[in-house]
Amino acid sequence: MNGFRHVVAKLSRWFALAGGSLLAAMATLVVISVLGRVLIGRPVPGDFEIVATGTAISVFLCLPWCQLQRGNLIVDLFLARLSPRVVAWLDLLSAALLGLLALLFAWRMALGWRDAIAYQDVSVILGFPLWWAYPFAVGSFLLLACACVVTATRGVERQST
Amino acid sequence: MMASGAAVLGLGILLVLLVLRVPLGPAMLLVGMGGYIALAGPEPLLNYMKTGAYWRFASYDFSVIPMFLLMGQLAVRSGMSTRLFDAANVFLGHRRGGVAMAAVGGCAAFGAICGSSLATAGTMSRVAYPELQRYRYSGALATGSLAAGGTLGILIPPSVVLIIYAVAVQANIVTMFEAALIPGLIALAGYLLTIAIYVRISPSAGPVGRRFDWSERLQALLETWPMIALFLLVIGGIYIGWFNPTEAAAIGAFGAALLAWLRGGLDREGLIESVLEVAQATAMIFIILLGADFLNIFLALAGFPAWVAEQAANSSLSPYLILTCMILFYFVLGCFMDSLAMIFLTVPVFWPIIAGLDFGLPPGDLQIWFGIIVLVVVELGLITPPVGLNVLIINAAAPGVTLRETFIGTLPFLCSEILRVVLLVLFPPIILFLPHLLN
Repeated sequence: MNGFRHVVAKLSRWFALAGGSLLAAMATLVVISVLGRVLIGRPVPGDFEIVATGTAISVFLCLPWCQLQRGNLIVDLFLARLSPRVVAWLDLLSAALLGLLALLFAWRMALGWRDAIAYQDVSVILGFPLWWAYPFAVGSFLLLACACVVTATRGVERQST
Repeated sequence: MMASGAAVLGLGILLVLLVLRVPLGPAMLLVGMGGYIALAGPEPLLNYMKTGAYWRFASYDFSVIPMFLLMGQLAVRSGMSTRLFDAANVFLGHRRGGVAMAAVGGCAAFGAICGSSLATAGTMSRVAYPELQRYRYSGALATGSLAAGGTLGILIPPSVVLIIYAVAVQANIVTMFEAALIPGLIALAGYLLTIAIYVRISPSAGPVGRRFDWSERLQALLETWPMIALFLLVIGGIYIGWFNPTEAAAIGAFGAALLAWLRGGLDREGLIESVLEVAQATAMIFIILLGADFLNIFLALAGFPAWVAEQAANSSLSPYLILTCMILFYFVLGCFMDSLAMIFLTVPVFWPIIAGLDFGLPPGDLQIWFGIIVLVVVELGLITPPVGLNVLIINAAAPGVTLRETFIGTLPFLCSEILRVVLLVLFPPIILFLPHLLN
Protein backbone atom coordinates (compact mmCIF):
# COMPACT_ATOMS: atom_id res chain seq x y z
CA MET A 1 0.00 0.00 0.00
CA ASN A 2 2.79 2.40 0.91
CA GLY A 3 4.54 1.66 -2.35
CA PHE A 4 1.33 2.43 -4.23
CA ARG A 5 0.93 5.72 -2.38
CA HIS A 6 4.48 6.69 -3.08
CA VAL A 7 4.11 6.02 -6.80
CA VAL A 8 0.80 7.90 -7.02
CA ALA A 9 2.23 10.88 -5.17
CA LYS A 10 5.33 11.00 -7.35
CA LEU A 11 3.35 10.63 -10.58
CA SER A 12 0.78 13.25 -9.56
CA ARG A 13 3.55 15.69 -8.78
CA TRP A 14 5.17 15.10 -12.16
CA PHE A 15 1.81 15.46 -13.89
CA ALA A 16 1.20 18.77 -12.11
CA LEU A 17 4.68 20.04 -12.92
CA ALA A 18 4.13 19.14 -16.55
CA GLY A 19 0.72 20.82 -16.55
CA GLY A 20 2.03 23.96 -14.87
CA SER A 21 5.02 24.12 -17.20
CA LEU A 22 2.69 23.76 -20.17
CA LEU A 23 0.75 26.76 -18.85
CA ALA A 24 3.95 28.76 -18.61
CA ALA A 25 4.88 27.67 -22.13
CA MET A 26 1.52 28.90 -23.40
CA ALA A 27 1.96 32.20 -21.62
CA THR A 28 5.26 32.49 -23.48
CA LEU A 29 3.57 31.65 -26.76
CA VAL A 30 0.91 34.31 -26.16
CA VAL A 31 3.57 36.93 -25.37
CA ILE A 32 5.47 36.01 -28.55
CA SER A 33 2.23 36.26 -30.50
CA VAL A 34 1.50 39.73 -29.10
CA LEU A 35 5.07 40.85 -29.83
CA GLY A 36 4.76 39.49 -33.35
CA ARG A 37 1.53 41.37 -33.87
CA VAL A 38 2.93 44.62 -32.53
CA LEU A 39 6.43 44.48 -34.07
CA ILE A 40 6.02 42.81 -37.44
CA GLY A 41 2.25 42.84 -37.77
CA ARG A 42 1.97 39.05 -37.67
CA PRO A 43 0.78 37.06 -34.66
CA VAL A 44 1.67 33.40 -34.24
CA PRO A 45 -0.77 31.62 -36.55
CA GLY A 46 -3.38 29.53 -34.76
CA ASP A 47 -2.33 30.78 -31.33
CA PHE A 48 -5.96 30.64 -30.16
CA GLU A 49 -6.36 26.94 -30.82
CA ILE A 50 -2.94 26.03 -29.46
CA VAL A 51 -3.72 27.86 -26.22
CA ALA A 52 -7.21 26.33 -25.99
CA THR A 53 -5.99 22.76 -26.47
CA GLY A 54 -2.98 23.41 -24.27
CA THR A 55 -5.20 24.71 -21.48
CA ALA A 56 -7.31 21.56 -21.64
CA ILE A 57 -4.26 19.29 -21.51
CA SER A 58 -2.69 21.15 -18.61
CA VAL A 59 -5.94 21.20 -16.62
CA PHE A 60 -6.26 17.43 -17.01
CA LEU A 61 -2.66 16.97 -15.88
CA CYS A 62 -3.25 19.09 -12.76
CA LEU A 63 -6.33 17.20 -11.52
CA PRO A 64 -4.66 14.32 -9.58
CA TRP A 65 -2.29 16.67 -7.72
CA CYS A 66 -5.17 18.85 -6.57
CA GLN A 67 -6.97 15.85 -5.11
CA LEU A 68 -3.82 14.59 -3.43
CA GLN A 69 -3.24 18.00 -1.83
CA ARG A 70 -6.89 18.11 -0.76
CA GLY A 71 -7.12 21.28 -2.79
CA ASN A 72 -10.73 20.81 -3.82
CA LEU A 73 -13.11 23.42 -2.56
CA ILE A 74 -15.17 22.08 0.34
CA VAL A 75 -18.08 24.18 1.51
CA ASP A 76 -17.74 23.82 5.24
CA LEU A 77 -21.37 24.46 6.05
CA PHE A 78 -22.29 23.44 9.56
CA LEU A 79 -20.29 20.36 10.29
CA ALA A 80 -17.01 22.10 11.03
CA ARG A 81 -17.32 21.03 14.64
CA LEU A 82 -17.84 17.35 13.89
CA SER A 83 -15.44 14.90 15.42
CA PRO A 84 -12.36 14.25 13.27
CA ARG A 85 -13.43 10.60 13.05
CA VAL A 86 -16.72 11.41 11.35
CA VAL A 87 -15.01 13.92 9.10
CA ALA A 88 -12.50 11.28 8.02
CA TRP A 89 -15.29 8.86 7.10
CA LEU A 90 -17.24 11.53 5.23
CA ASP A 91 -14.10 12.45 3.33
CA LEU A 92 -13.60 8.80 2.48
CA LEU A 93 -17.11 8.79 1.06
CA SER A 94 -16.58 11.83 -1.11
CA ALA A 95 -13.17 10.63 -2.28
CA ALA A 96 -14.81 7.35 -3.28
CA LEU A 97 -17.51 9.22 -5.20
CA LEU A 98 -14.96 11.36 -7.02
CA GLY A 99 -12.88 8.26 -7.76
CA LEU A 100 -15.88 6.60 -9.40
CA LEU A 101 -16.61 9.74 -11.40
CA ALA A 102 -12.98 9.83 -12.54
CA LEU A 103 -13.17 6.21 -13.71
CA LEU A 104 -16.39 6.99 -15.57
CA PHE A 105 -14.77 9.96 -17.29
CA ALA A 106 -11.66 7.91 -18.13
CA TRP A 107 -13.86 5.24 -19.75
CA ARG A 108 -16.02 7.67 -21.71
CA MET A 109 -13.10 9.82 -22.84
CA ALA A 110 -11.24 6.71 -24.02
CA LEU A 111 -14.23 6.20 -26.32
CA GLY A 112 -14.14 9.90 -27.23
CA TRP A 113 -10.49 9.42 -28.13
CA ARG A 114 -11.38 6.52 -30.44
CA ASP A 115 -14.14 8.61 -32.05
CA ALA A 116 -11.86 11.58 -32.57
CA ILE A 117 -9.39 9.36 -34.42
CA ALA A 118 -12.15 7.68 -36.43
CA TYR A 119 -13.76 10.96 -37.49
CA GLN A 120 -10.33 12.55 -38.11
CA ASP A 121 -11.24 15.70 -36.19
CA VAL A 122 -8.61 18.38 -36.73
CA SER A 123 -8.21 21.95 -35.48
CA VAL A 124 -9.51 24.71 -37.73
CA ILE A 125 -6.38 26.68 -38.60
CA LEU A 126 -3.32 24.53 -38.01
CA GLY A 127 -5.05 21.24 -38.69
CA PHE A 128 -3.49 19.28 -35.82
CA PRO A 129 -5.52 16.21 -34.81
CA LEU A 130 -7.82 16.88 -31.86
CA TRP A 131 -7.35 13.41 -30.37
CA TRP A 132 -3.94 14.51 -29.09
CA ALA A 133 -5.51 15.86 -25.93
CA TYR A 134 -7.44 12.67 -25.12
CA PRO A 135 -4.59 10.43 -23.96
CA PHE A 136 -3.72 13.11 -21.39
CA ALA A 137 -7.35 13.22 -20.27
CA VAL A 138 -7.69 9.45 -19.91
CA GLY A 139 -4.34 9.09 -18.15
CA SER A 140 -5.09 11.96 -15.78
CA PHE A 141 -8.54 10.67 -14.86
CA LEU A 142 -7.08 7.22 -14.15
CA LEU A 143 -4.39 8.77 -11.96
CA LEU A 144 -7.08 10.91 -10.31
CA ALA A 145 -8.97 7.73 -9.40
CA CYS A 146 -5.76 6.37 -7.81
CA ALA A 147 -5.24 9.66 -5.96
CA CYS A 148 -8.78 9.32 -4.58
CA VAL A 149 -7.92 5.86 -3.23
CA VAL A 150 -4.85 7.34 -1.56
CA THR A 151 -6.66 10.27 0.07
CA ALA A 152 -9.61 8.10 1.14
CA THR A 153 -7.50 5.51 2.92
CA ARG A 154 -5.03 8.03 4.32
CA GLY A 155 -7.61 10.00 6.29
CA VAL A 156 -9.30 7.00 7.86
CA GLU A 157 -6.02 5.31 8.68
CA ARG A 158 -4.82 8.41 10.47
CA GLN A 159 -7.94 8.31 12.63
CA SER A 160 -7.66 4.65 13.56
CA THR A 161 -4.04 4.87 14.65
CA MET B 1 -43.78 22.08 -13.83
CA MET B 2 -42.76 18.47 -13.19
CA ALA B 3 -39.31 19.15 -14.58
CA SER B 4 -38.76 22.24 -12.48
CA GLY B 5 -39.73 20.14 -9.47
CA ALA B 6 -36.87 17.84 -10.41
CA ALA B 7 -34.55 20.84 -10.51
CA VAL B 8 -35.58 21.95 -7.03
CA LEU B 9 -35.09 18.41 -5.75
CA GLY B 10 -31.69 18.31 -7.44
CA LEU B 11 -30.59 21.54 -5.79
CA GLY B 12 -31.76 20.15 -2.45
CA ILE B 13 -29.65 17.05 -2.95
CA LEU B 14 -26.74 19.30 -3.89
CA LEU B 15 -27.02 21.08 -0.55
CA VAL B 16 -27.10 17.77 1.31
CA LEU B 17 -23.98 16.62 -0.51
CA LEU B 18 -22.24 19.88 0.36
CA VAL B 19 -23.18 19.50 4.02
CA LEU B 20 -21.68 16.02 3.88
CA ARG B 21 -18.39 17.64 2.81
CA VAL B 22 -18.47 16.49 -0.80
CA PRO B 23 -16.32 19.11 -2.58
CA LEU B 24 -18.25 21.60 -4.70
CA GLY B 25 -17.08 20.41 -8.12
CA PRO B 26 -17.81 16.71 -7.67
CA ALA B 27 -21.11 17.51 -5.92
CA MET B 28 -22.31 19.59 -8.87
CA LEU B 29 -21.11 16.89 -11.25
CA LEU B 30 -23.06 14.20 -9.39
CA VAL B 31 -26.30 16.18 -9.24
CA GLY B 32 -25.98 17.35 -12.83
CA MET B 33 -25.40 13.82 -14.07
CA GLY B 34 -28.14 12.33 -11.91
CA GLY B 35 -30.63 14.93 -13.06
CA TYR B 36 -29.63 14.53 -16.68
CA ILE B 37 -30.19 10.78 -16.46
CA ALA B 38 -33.50 11.23 -14.66
CA LEU B 39 -34.83 13.57 -17.34
CA ALA B 40 -33.29 12.17 -20.51
CA GLY B 41 -32.06 8.65 -19.76
CA PRO B 42 -28.40 7.56 -19.62
CA GLU B 43 -27.62 7.62 -23.36
CA PRO B 44 -27.25 11.40 -23.89
CA LEU B 45 -25.13 11.77 -20.76
CA LEU B 46 -22.79 8.93 -21.70
CA ASN B 47 -22.41 10.46 -25.14
CA TYR B 48 -21.79 13.92 -23.78
CA MET B 49 -19.10 12.62 -21.42
CA LYS B 50 -17.01 11.43 -24.35
CA THR B 51 -16.08 14.98 -25.31
CA GLY B 52 -17.75 17.30 -22.76
CA ALA B 53 -14.78 17.71 -20.44
CA TYR B 54 -12.40 18.35 -23.34
CA TRP B 55 -14.54 21.05 -24.91
CA ARG B 56 -15.22 22.65 -21.56
CA PHE B 57 -11.49 22.93 -20.78
CA ALA B 58 -10.24 23.64 -24.30
CA SER B 59 -11.36 27.24 -24.28
CA TYR B 60 -9.24 30.24 -25.12
CA ASP B 61 -11.48 32.40 -22.93
CA PHE B 62 -10.90 30.15 -19.92
CA SER B 63 -7.15 30.15 -20.40
CA VAL B 64 -7.18 33.59 -18.80
CA ILE B 65 -7.85 31.96 -15.41
CA PRO B 66 -4.65 29.91 -15.06
CA MET B 67 -2.64 32.76 -16.55
CA PHE B 68 -3.89 35.24 -13.97
CA LEU B 69 -3.25 32.63 -11.27
CA LEU B 70 0.31 32.37 -12.57
CA MET B 71 0.68 36.14 -12.53
CA GLY B 72 -0.62 36.35 -8.96
CA GLN B 73 1.60 33.54 -7.73
CA LEU B 74 4.67 35.18 -9.24
CA ALA B 75 3.63 38.54 -7.81
CA VAL B 76 3.53 36.99 -4.34
CA ARG B 77 7.12 35.81 -4.84
CA SER B 78 8.41 39.04 -6.33
CA GLY B 79 8.69 40.94 -3.04
CA MET B 80 6.71 43.75 -4.61
CA SER B 81 4.33 43.82 -1.66
CA THR B 82 7.11 45.21 0.54
CA ARG B 83 7.94 48.01 -1.84
CA LEU B 84 4.32 48.91 -2.48
CA PHE B 85 3.67 49.16 1.25
CA ASP B 86 6.84 51.20 1.78
CA ALA B 87 5.86 53.60 -0.97
CA ALA B 88 2.45 54.16 0.62
CA ASN B 89 3.98 54.43 4.06
CA VAL B 90 6.47 57.20 3.26
CA PHE B 91 3.57 59.39 2.17
CA LEU B 92 0.99 58.45 4.82
CA GLY B 93 2.95 57.16 7.80
CA HIS B 94 3.31 60.45 9.65
CA ARG B 95 -0.45 60.94 9.91
CA ARG B 96 -2.59 59.59 12.70
CA GLY B 97 -3.56 56.08 11.59
CA GLY B 98 -1.28 56.57 8.60
CA VAL B 99 0.51 53.24 8.78
CA ALA B 100 -2.84 51.44 8.67
CA MET B 101 -3.82 53.61 5.70
CA ALA B 102 -0.56 52.65 4.03
CA ALA B 103 -1.39 48.99 4.64
CA VAL B 104 -4.77 49.43 2.94
CA GLY B 105 -3.15 51.35 0.09
CA GLY B 106 -0.52 48.64 -0.29
CA CYS B 107 -3.30 46.03 -0.40
CA ALA B 108 -5.08 47.94 -3.16
CA ALA B 109 -1.91 48.25 -5.22
CA PHE B 110 -0.94 44.64 -4.69
CA GLY B 111 -4.50 43.44 -5.33
CA ALA B 112 -4.32 45.25 -8.63
CA ILE B 113 -1.64 42.82 -9.70
CA CYS B 114 -2.56 39.74 -7.73
CA GLY B 115 -6.33 39.30 -8.12
CA SER B 116 -6.92 37.03 -5.14
CA SER B 117 -8.11 38.36 -1.81
CA LEU B 118 -6.58 35.61 0.25
CA ALA B 119 -3.17 35.96 -1.36
CA THR B 120 -3.36 39.74 -0.97
CA ALA B 121 -4.31 39.53 2.69
CA GLY B 122 -1.71 36.87 3.38
CA THR B 123 1.14 38.64 1.63
CA MET B 124 0.40 42.12 2.89
CA SER B 125 -0.04 41.02 6.49
CA ARG B 126 3.46 39.56 6.48
CA VAL B 127 4.80 42.87 5.23
CA ALA B 128 2.69 45.44 7.03
CA TYR B 129 1.81 43.83 10.33
CA PRO B 130 5.32 44.05 11.83
CA GLU B 131 5.38 47.77 10.96
CA LEU B 132 1.95 48.33 12.51
CA GLN B 133 3.16 46.58 15.62
CA ARG B 134 6.34 48.64 15.74
CA TYR B 135 4.33 51.86 15.84
CA ARG B 136 2.09 50.40 18.57
CA TYR B 137 -1.12 50.27 16.58
CA SER B 138 -3.95 48.55 18.44
CA GLY B 139 -4.38 44.91 17.45
CA ALA B 140 -7.96 45.49 16.35
CA LEU B 141 -7.14 48.35 13.98
CA ALA B 142 -4.02 46.68 12.60
CA THR B 143 -5.63 43.35 11.76
CA GLY B 144 -9.00 44.88 10.84
CA SER B 145 -7.54 47.18 8.22
CA LEU B 146 -5.43 44.38 6.75
CA ALA B 147 -8.42 42.04 6.53
CA ALA B 148 -10.52 44.74 4.90
CA GLY B 149 -7.69 45.81 2.62
CA GLY B 150 -7.28 42.24 1.44
CA THR B 151 -10.80 42.23 0.03
CA LEU B 152 -9.70 44.85 -2.48
CA GLY B 153 -7.87 42.06 -4.31
CA ILE B 154 -11.18 40.61 -5.45
CA LEU B 155 -12.64 43.80 -6.84
CA ILE B 156 -9.78 45.70 -8.35
CA PRO B 157 -9.15 44.03 -11.69
CA PRO B 158 -7.77 41.59 -12.59
CA SER B 159 -9.77 39.32 -10.34
CA VAL B 160 -10.36 35.62 -10.75
CA VAL B 161 -13.78 35.68 -9.08
CA LEU B 162 -14.88 38.41 -11.48
CA ILE B 163 -13.86 36.21 -14.41
CA ILE B 164 -15.87 33.34 -12.93
CA TYR B 165 -18.97 35.52 -12.73
CA ALA B 166 -18.48 36.62 -16.33
CA VAL B 167 -18.22 32.96 -17.34
CA ALA B 168 -21.32 32.02 -15.35
CA VAL B 169 -23.60 34.63 -16.95
CA GLN B 170 -21.73 34.77 -20.28
CA ALA B 171 -20.83 38.40 -19.81
CA ASN B 172 -17.88 40.06 -21.46
CA ILE B 173 -14.81 39.80 -19.22
CA VAL B 174 -13.39 43.09 -20.47
CA THR B 175 -16.58 44.96 -19.67
CA MET B 176 -16.65 43.45 -16.19
CA PHE B 177 -13.06 44.57 -15.62
CA GLU B 178 -13.99 48.07 -16.68
CA ALA B 179 -17.03 48.14 -14.43
CA ALA B 180 -15.13 46.98 -11.35
CA LEU B 181 -12.54 49.76 -11.28
CA ILE B 182 -14.57 52.68 -9.90
CA PRO B 183 -16.37 50.60 -7.23
CA GLY B 184 -12.95 49.28 -6.22
CA LEU B 185 -11.54 52.77 -5.85
CA ILE B 186 -14.62 53.78 -3.85
CA ALA B 187 -13.92 50.88 -1.51
CA LEU B 188 -10.34 52.07 -1.09
CA ALA B 189 -11.51 55.61 -0.33
CA GLY B 190 -14.10 54.24 2.10
CA TYR B 191 -11.47 52.23 3.98
CA LEU B 192 -9.10 55.19 4.24
CA LEU B 193 -11.93 57.37 5.52
CA THR B 194 -12.91 54.65 8.01
CA ILE B 195 -9.40 54.62 9.43
CA ALA B 196 -9.37 58.43 9.65
CA ILE B 197 -12.64 58.40 11.62
CA TYR B 198 -11.49 55.44 13.73
CA VAL B 199 -8.35 57.21 14.97
CA ARG B 200 -10.27 60.43 15.55
CA ILE B 201 -12.56 58.58 17.95
CA SER B 202 -9.83 56.47 19.47
CA PRO B 203 -6.48 58.28 18.93
CA SER B 204 -4.41 55.74 20.83
CA ALA B 205 -5.33 53.00 18.34
CA GLY B 206 -3.29 54.52 15.52
CA PRO B 207 -0.34 56.62 16.71
CA VAL B 208 1.59 58.80 14.27
CA GLY B 209 4.57 57.19 12.60
CA ARG B 210 7.81 58.66 11.35
CA ARG B 211 7.76 61.54 8.87
CA PHE B 212 9.81 60.89 5.75
CA ASP B 213 11.48 63.68 3.80
CA TRP B 214 11.01 64.18 0.09
CA SER B 215 14.20 62.49 -1.01
CA GLU B 216 13.06 59.32 0.75
CA ARG B 217 9.65 59.65 -0.85
CA LEU B 218 11.13 60.04 -4.29
CA GLN B 219 13.36 57.04 -3.67
CA ALA B 220 10.36 54.86 -2.69
CA LEU B 221 8.40 55.97 -5.72
CA LEU B 222 11.33 55.18 -8.00
CA GLU B 223 11.43 51.67 -6.58
CA THR B 224 7.80 51.00 -7.38
CA TRP B 225 7.67 52.24 -10.94
CA PRO B 226 8.15 48.77 -12.53
CA MET B 227 5.05 47.53 -10.68
CA ILE B 228 3.02 50.57 -11.59
CA ALA B 229 4.11 50.18 -15.20
CA LEU B 230 3.16 46.51 -15.16
CA PHE B 231 -0.27 47.26 -13.74
CA LEU B 232 -0.90 50.06 -16.25
CA LEU B 233 0.22 47.85 -19.10
CA VAL B 234 -2.02 44.93 -18.08
CA ILE B 235 -5.19 46.80 -17.15
CA GLY B 236 -4.70 49.77 -19.45
CA GLY B 237 -3.95 47.42 -22.31
CA ILE B 238 -7.24 45.60 -21.71
CA TYR B 239 -9.22 48.83 -21.38
CA ILE B 240 -7.78 50.41 -24.50
CA GLY B 241 -8.17 47.17 -26.43
CA TRP B 242 -4.50 46.57 -27.15
CA PHE B 243 -4.85 42.98 -26.04
CA ASN B 244 -7.48 40.56 -24.84
CA PRO B 245 -7.54 39.36 -21.20
CA THR B 246 -5.56 36.19 -21.92
CA GLU B 247 -2.82 38.20 -23.60
CA ALA B 248 -2.82 40.73 -20.79
CA ALA B 249 -2.54 37.95 -18.21
CA ALA B 250 0.32 36.29 -20.10
CA ILE B 251 2.19 39.60 -20.33
CA GLY B 252 1.47 40.24 -16.65
CA ALA B 253 2.78 36.81 -15.70
CA PHE B 254 5.94 37.51 -17.66
CA GLY B 255 6.42 40.88 -16.05
CA ALA B 256 5.84 39.48 -12.57
CA ALA B 257 8.28 36.64 -13.27
CA LEU B 258 10.87 39.16 -14.38
CA LEU B 259 10.38 41.25 -11.22
CA ALA B 260 10.53 38.14 -9.03
CA TRP B 261 13.67 36.94 -10.78
CA LEU B 262 15.39 40.31 -10.43
CA ARG B 263 14.67 40.23 -6.72
CA GLY B 264 16.16 36.76 -6.44
CA GLY B 265 12.82 35.30 -5.31
CA LEU B 266 12.67 32.89 -8.19
CA ASP B 267 15.25 30.20 -7.68
CA ARG B 268 14.66 26.61 -8.77
CA GLU B 269 12.76 25.71 -5.63
CA GLY B 270 10.62 28.83 -5.74
CA LEU B 271 9.78 28.15 -9.34
CA ILE B 272 8.71 24.56 -8.69
CA GLU B 273 6.61 25.64 -5.73
CA SER B 274 4.89 28.35 -7.80
CA VAL B 275 4.13 25.92 -10.59
CA LEU B 276 2.63 23.41 -8.17
CA GLU B 277 0.52 26.10 -6.48
CA VAL B 278 -0.82 27.27 -9.82
CA ALA B 279 -1.49 23.67 -10.85
CA GLN B 280 -3.52 23.05 -7.71
CA ALA B 281 -5.54 26.26 -7.95
CA THR B 282 -6.19 25.69 -11.65
CA ALA B 283 -7.47 22.16 -11.12
CA MET B 284 -9.62 23.33 -8.20
CA ILE B 285 -11.36 25.96 -10.31
CA PHE B 286 -11.72 23.91 -13.48
CA ILE B 287 -13.25 20.91 -11.74
CA ILE B 288 -15.88 23.31 -10.42
CA LEU B 289 -16.35 24.76 -13.92
CA LEU B 290 -16.90 21.21 -15.18
CA GLY B 291 -19.41 20.52 -12.41
CA ALA B 292 -21.21 23.79 -13.12
CA ASP B 293 -21.41 22.80 -16.79
CA PHE B 294 -23.16 19.51 -16.01
CA LEU B 295 -25.41 21.12 -13.41
CA ASN B 296 -26.43 23.86 -15.83
CA ILE B 297 -27.27 21.35 -18.56
CA PHE B 298 -29.59 19.61 -16.12
CA LEU B 299 -31.15 22.88 -14.91
CA ALA B 300 -31.68 24.09 -18.47
CA LEU B 301 -33.21 20.75 -19.47
CA ALA B 302 -35.58 21.07 -16.51
CA GLY B 303 -36.58 24.54 -17.66
CA PHE B 304 -35.43 25.85 -14.32
CA PRO B 305 -34.11 29.32 -15.29
CA ALA B 306 -37.36 30.22 -17.07
CA TRP B 307 -39.40 28.79 -14.21
CA VAL B 308 -37.72 30.80 -11.42
CA ALA B 309 -37.82 33.94 -13.56
CA GLU B 310 -41.54 33.44 -14.04
CA GLN B 311 -42.10 32.84 -10.33
CA ALA B 312 -40.28 36.05 -9.49
CA ALA B 313 -42.09 38.09 -12.12
CA ASN B 314 -45.47 36.78 -10.97
CA SER B 315 -44.75 37.35 -7.32
CA SER B 316 -45.60 41.07 -7.73
CA LEU B 317 -42.84 41.89 -5.28
CA SER B 318 -40.89 45.03 -6.06
CA PRO B 319 -37.64 44.27 -7.94
CA TYR B 320 -35.66 46.20 -5.34
CA LEU B 321 -37.20 44.16 -2.54
CA ILE B 322 -36.13 40.96 -4.27
CA LEU B 323 -32.64 42.36 -4.83
CA THR B 324 -32.43 43.38 -1.17
CA CYS B 325 -33.43 39.88 -0.10
CA MET B 326 -30.72 38.43 -2.31
CA ILE B 327 -28.12 40.76 -0.83
CA LEU B 328 -29.15 39.80 2.70
CA PHE B 329 -29.02 36.15 1.66
CA TYR B 330 -25.45 36.60 0.38
CA PHE B 331 -24.59 38.30 3.61
CA VAL B 332 -25.78 35.31 5.65
CA LEU B 333 -24.27 32.82 3.23
CA GLY B 334 -20.98 34.69 3.35
CA CYS B 335 -20.69 33.79 7.01
CA PHE B 336 -20.24 30.14 6.05
CA MET B 337 -19.17 29.94 2.48
CA ASP B 338 -16.21 30.72 0.28
CA SER B 339 -16.74 33.45 -2.33
CA LEU B 340 -16.12 31.19 -5.31
CA ALA B 341 -18.66 28.67 -4.02
CA MET B 342 -21.25 31.40 -3.46
CA ILE B 343 -20.89 32.64 -7.04
CA PHE B 344 -21.18 29.16 -8.52
CA LEU B 345 -24.14 28.14 -6.37
CA THR B 346 -26.26 31.27 -6.45
CA VAL B 347 -25.73 32.90 -9.84
CA PRO B 348 -27.46 30.14 -11.88
CA VAL B 349 -30.55 30.71 -9.71
CA PHE B 350 -30.39 34.45 -9.05
CA TRP B 351 -29.35 35.72 -12.45
CA PRO B 352 -32.46 34.45 -14.32
CA ILE B 353 -34.61 36.05 -11.61
CA ILE B 354 -32.85 39.40 -11.91
CA ALA B 355 -32.88 39.21 -15.71
CA GLY B 356 -36.66 38.83 -15.63
CA LEU B 357 -37.23 41.89 -13.41
CA ASP B 358 -37.43 45.50 -14.47
CA PHE B 359 -34.76 47.72 -12.96
CA GLY B 360 -34.95 50.25 -15.78
CA LEU B 361 -31.66 48.97 -17.21
CA PRO B 362 -31.04 47.25 -20.56
CA PRO B 363 -30.08 43.55 -20.19
CA GLY B 364 -26.38 44.09 -20.88
CA ASP B 365 -26.11 46.80 -18.24
CA LEU B 366 -28.17 44.77 -15.79
CA GLN B 367 -25.69 41.90 -16.06
CA ILE B 368 -22.76 44.19 -15.26
CA TRP B 369 -24.51 46.03 -12.45
CA PHE B 370 -25.76 42.87 -10.74
CA GLY B 371 -22.36 41.21 -11.15
CA ILE B 372 -20.48 43.98 -9.42
CA ILE B 373 -23.00 44.13 -6.59
CA VAL B 374 -22.75 40.36 -6.12
CA LEU B 375 -18.98 40.61 -6.12
CA VAL B 376 -19.00 43.30 -3.43
CA VAL B 377 -21.43 41.41 -1.22
CA VAL B 378 -19.63 38.11 -1.70
CA GLU B 379 -16.37 39.75 -0.72
CA LEU B 380 -17.97 40.92 2.52
CA GLY B 381 -18.16 37.26 3.51
CA LEU B 382 -14.37 37.26 3.74
CA ILE B 383 -14.46 39.54 6.75
CA THR B 384 -17.62 38.44 8.60
CA PRO B 385 -17.61 35.94 11.48
CA PRO B 386 -17.46 33.01 12.01
CA VAL B 387 -15.40 31.92 8.99
CA GLY B 388 -14.20 35.16 7.41
CA LEU B 389 -11.23 33.66 5.60
CA ASN B 390 -9.29 36.91 5.39
CA VAL B 391 -9.71 37.43 9.10
CA LEU B 392 -8.49 33.94 9.87
CA ILE B 393 -5.42 34.34 7.65
CA ILE B 394 -4.47 37.68 9.15
CA ASN B 395 -5.16 36.58 12.65
CA ALA B 396 -2.79 33.68 12.12
CA ALA B 397 -0.09 36.16 11.06
CA ALA B 398 -0.63 38.32 14.16
CA PRO B 399 0.12 36.13 17.18
CA GLY B 400 -0.66 38.67 19.91
CA VAL B 401 -4.17 39.46 18.70
CA THR B 402 -7.27 37.44 19.56
CA LEU B 403 -9.75 36.46 16.86
CA ARG B 404 -12.41 38.46 18.67
CA GLU B 405 -10.28 41.59 18.50
CA THR B 406 -9.75 41.11 14.78
CA PHE B 407 -13.46 40.72 14.10
CA ILE B 408 -14.18 43.82 16.16
CA GLY B 409 -11.49 45.60 14.16
CA THR B 410 -13.24 44.76 10.90
CA LEU B 411 -16.63 46.10 12.08
CA PRO B 412 -16.05 49.74 11.08
CA PHE B 413 -14.92 48.59 7.65
CA LEU B 414 -18.03 46.46 7.37
CA CYS B 415 -20.11 49.61 7.94
CA SER B 416 -18.26 51.40 5.17
CA GLU B 417 -18.90 48.41 2.92
CA ILE B 418 -22.63 48.34 3.64
CA LEU B 419 -22.78 52.00 2.76
CA ARG B 420 -21.02 51.23 -0.50
CA VAL B 421 -23.49 48.46 -1.38
CA VAL B 422 -26.37 50.89 -0.84
CA LEU B 423 -24.64 53.44 -3.08
CA LEU B 424 -24.06 50.92 -5.84
CA VAL B 425 -27.65 49.68 -5.73
CA LEU B 426 -29.15 53.17 -5.79
CA PHE B 427 -26.79 54.68 -8.34
CA PRO B 428 -26.03 52.20 -11.15
CA PRO B 429 -24.07 54.84 -13.11
CA ILE B 430 -21.20 54.46 -10.62
CA ILE B 431 -20.71 50.99 -12.08
CA LEU B 432 -21.83 51.63 -15.65
CA PHE B 433 -20.01 54.91 -16.27
CA LEU B 434 -16.62 53.49 -17.23
CA PRO B 435 -17.88 50.64 -19.48
CA HIS B 436 -20.10 53.13 -21.33
CA LEU B 437 -17.26 55.61 -21.66
CA LEU B 438 -14.83 53.04 -23.04
CA ASN B 439 -17.19 51.32 -25.48
